[in-house]
Amino acid sequence: MKHRSKVGITIFIMAIVAAAIAAGCASTPLRTEASTSGIRAAEELGAADVPQASLHLNLARESLEKARVLAAQDKKEQAASMLLRAEADAELAIALSHEDSERSEALAAVARVRKLQQDSR
Amino acid sequence: MKVKSILVIVACAGLLASCATTAPIELVNAREAYRQASTGPAVQVAPAQLHEAQQALAIAEQSFQKNPKSYQTQDLAYVAHRKAQLAQASASIAQKQASQAQARRDYQDAQSKIIAETKTDLDQTRTALAASERSGEVSAERLSSAQDARIAADRQTAQAQEALAASTAQQLASEQEARKAAEKRAADAQAALAKLATVREEARGMVITLSGSVLFATNQSTLLPDAQLRLNKVADALLVNNQRNLIIEGHADSSGDAGYNLDLSLRRANTVRSYLVGRGYQASRIRAYGFGERNPVADNASAEGRANNRRVEIVVEHETIATNK
Repeated sequence: MKHRSKVGITIFIMAIVAAAIAAGCASTPLRTEASTSGIRAAEELGAADVPQASLHLNLARESLEKARVLAAQDKKEQAASMLLRAEADAELAIALSHEDSERSEALAAVARVRKLQQDSR
Repeated sequence: MKVKSILVIVACAGLLASCATTAPIELVNAREAYRQASTGPAVQVAPAQLHEAQQALAIAEQSFQKNPKSYQTQDLAYVAHRKAQLAQASASIAQKQASQAQARRDYQDAQSKIIAETKTDLDQTRTALAASERSGEVSAERLSSAQDARIAADRQTAQAQEALAASTAQQLASEQEARKAAEKRAADAQAALAKLATVREEARGMVITLSGSVLFATNQSTLLPDAQLRLNKVADALLVNNQRNLIIEGHADSSGDAGYNLDLSLRRANTVRSYLVGRGYQASRIRAYGFGERNPVADNASAEGRANNRRVEIVVEHETIATNK
């Protein structure tokens, strides 16, 4: 009789703990700061005007939206995993925007040199 | 026993099948992207980003090993793919920045070269200008010498002109003096003629009238001795200007035969002509005519009149052209 009581209590405590954990998980908000700030930064850099950057910017937005949907469906882990996609695409969009601007500046710099050399002849 | 063996075989087959699970497309893409990134310039210029891509791919591979078909594996592979692409983009950015830096250095080098060339050109121009200025000074000396020479030449010319002018003036003065002397002689000659004969100016010239009775005996055409002396003086006066033409006219009065008088007047005119030629007057400039009694200057009714009509006139023509009839 004593043995069965101890087991029951143990199981009950574990159930309460599990419920508490489940409840805690269910109330944790989706952490979208990284992805949203990445997307915002890409937008400010003009990623929408660079074809490849615009593609990944859109992918980042789609992934962020999917993550919110999954979070609403209480699929937190899957939502969090989806946010990793959004952050990666946003980061790549930023890099591609930088690459485009660096390419333009490099071309302009080379053009200045050629013009100077031609003018000096 | 056989049933156990069959179950074991089936279990192993299942294990083998699970080990050969196809990787999700995200992982395939990630592997390829990393392969490209790890063989490109990212190795040199973006090693940090390439390392992150390698770590992401390793995590994805681990997830794939644990849960090949889970969403975690797909998402981690997706992220690994993006990390590899990010490494490539970072490498490209680094290359563009290096190109910009090189272009800036080239620009500065080109500017420096231009400045150096400009400075060299400026130095050369200054040198040439200095040389030109020195050349200008030499030219100024030459110009000054040329000017001095010109001034000396002008002075010489002026002196020559002065000398010429002086000479001309002297010559002119001499000529004037000569002309005056000639005019004086002519005037003296005319004055002398006036003493020897009647002299008057007519349209045909200066007419010197010599009385026939002074020159000739009656009905004669030979000069009297005193007439020769008088004709000598006349000749001397005429010879002052012997370039003038002379016309010797013989005239008679109305006594006697007209034909005889005509012949006598002609012979007397010729006599005077011959005498003047003998005194040195050019023969081509003297003509002789006889007019007889046709041109009386006085009334033949009186003796005085007839004496006046008996004359020889020497007409000194104004023109110097010799005319020979």
